[in-house]
Formats: sequence, structure tokens, C-alpha cells
Amino acid sequence: MPDINNTNSTQANKAATLKGYQVTLRPIGEDDLERLRQWRNDPSVSQFMLSQADISKEQQQAWFKKIQRDTSQQHFIIEYKERAIGSLNIKARLVGETIENATVIEPGLYISDPTYRNNIVAFSPSLLIIDYCFEQLGCQKLVAVVKSDNHAALKYNQKLGYKIVKQGDLIEIELNFDDYQAHSKTLKSLLSRTPRT
Amino acid sequence: MKNEQILINAFSTSLGIEAAMVTQDLTYNTIPQWDSTAHMILIAELEDQFKVMLDTDDIIDMGSVAKAKEILAKYDIEFDA
Repeated sequence: MPDINNTNSTQANKAATLKGYQVTLRPIGEDDLERLRQWRNDPSVSQFMLSQADISKEQQQAWFKKIQRDTSQQHFIIEYKERAIGSLNIKARLVGETIENATVIEPGLYISDPTYRNNIVAFSPSLLIIDYCFEQLGCQKLVAVVKSDNHAALKYNQKLGYKIVKQGDLIEIELNFDDYQAHSKTLKSLLSRTPRT
Repeated sequence: MKNEQILINAFSTSLGIEAAMVTQDLTYNTIPQWDSTAHMILIAELEDQFKVMLDTDDIIDMGSVAKAKEILAKYDIEFDA
């Protein structure tokens, strides 16, 4: 179960800081916006997004204002050893639900730092947020959409227990709690060992 | 058996690849066989063969054959230069 520090109140929707599996997920703040924009505009990240359009500073500011008021989503910076290595968000999938009472949640994630993109630690932020969604927010299932040419993301999600529910240019995948538990057990144990003293 | 050969065998068995493919610069996720599942099997095999218990930082850092030797050296496993 993730450690949760809910003292952060800079966001209207009061996203918690989560810690576990060697990584920290902290709510994004205004100081992160330019870094996030540069990550998001980097072709190595944007190639797998639904839109590849460059994001301007003004668009980024407008987006940040919107998400601060939006209780249906939460956005985080992924930190490993106090270094920002990527970004993660969760969104209530059904109209009218807040993230706190969502029955279906859609997570999105990218690792911006190439050092950690091809590393087992790339699973840590997903394990942490999925634990949070099922165990703290009490959602029933997670869903995601992956571009069909993003084989790495599809394989990554299947390792976590996601199953394909719809094929196409955009592949829809789903994860329920039981499948997640079955698939993530060993991964969790490896990524949550106590450090040597 | 020398530690170098034990290491090569551990990689070969865990990843399901020929021993000749186990070169120093072989890296996680650069061949289909070395994915996250194989990585978990590899960690278990290395721990079993060398009688060590790796910590999570080492499991995360173990991204190549060369790095595996470097990490195992911290656990007093010696490899010929």
C-alpha cells in the first residue's frame, strides 16, 4: 500500500503525494510547467500521444489553470532518487464522476528520462498509482487507450495484468483488481525490498 | 565453475538465449527476451547461484551484463579482470 501525504493543498483537487516502490508521485505545481511542456513536446514522448501538436507556453498555462479546478483528474511528477523522470495522470473515465468517487479510472504516464525508460523502475509509478486507484480511491477497473504501433506500452501494460478489450488503430485495454494482483506480485516484491544497511 | 561462467549461464537460462549472446553490453529491454518478466527470473537466478540477496536499488540498476558484474562485486563476488 502506498504511503500517502495529503498535506499538499496547492491544487484545488488536493492531489496527495504518494511514495512507494522507490519512487515518489507528487502533484505538479506551477514550477513544473515549463519542464513538463518541454517533455511533452519532445518527439520521443509526443510520438505516442494522440496529438503531436506542439504545446505553447500559453496553452500550458491555460491547461494548468483548468486542471487545478478539475476534480475529475490528478496530475503528478514522477521522482526517482529526488530526480524528476516523468509525468503521470489519472482521470475519471465516466462523465460526472470525480477522481475521488470514480468507478473507472484512466491512467496515463510517460518516462521522459531515457535512462529510466528502459529500466525496471519504469513499473514503479504504475504500481504506485494502481494501488492508489484500487485501494484508496476504490475504483472498480482501470482503462487505457494505446496506439497500435506503441508495442512497448502495450507489452508494459500487459505485464501489469491489463487485457485487450478492443483492437484497432487505438487499442483499448482494461485492468481489474484480481488480474492486477496476480500479475504484479513478484514485481512488487522486487521493487519494495528494504535497502541494505 | 568460474563466476564469469556462472553469470553467463544465469543470463542464458533466465533470458532463454544462447550463451554467446551474453556479452558485456547486453542491456535490459534491448532484446525481446530480456523483458520485465525475464528480469525477475534473472534476479532470482543470480541470487540463487551467488547466494546473495540483492536490494531494490541493485535490482533497478542491473540494466546490463557489465552492470550485473559491478553490482555482484559489491557482494564480494569476484570476477576475473
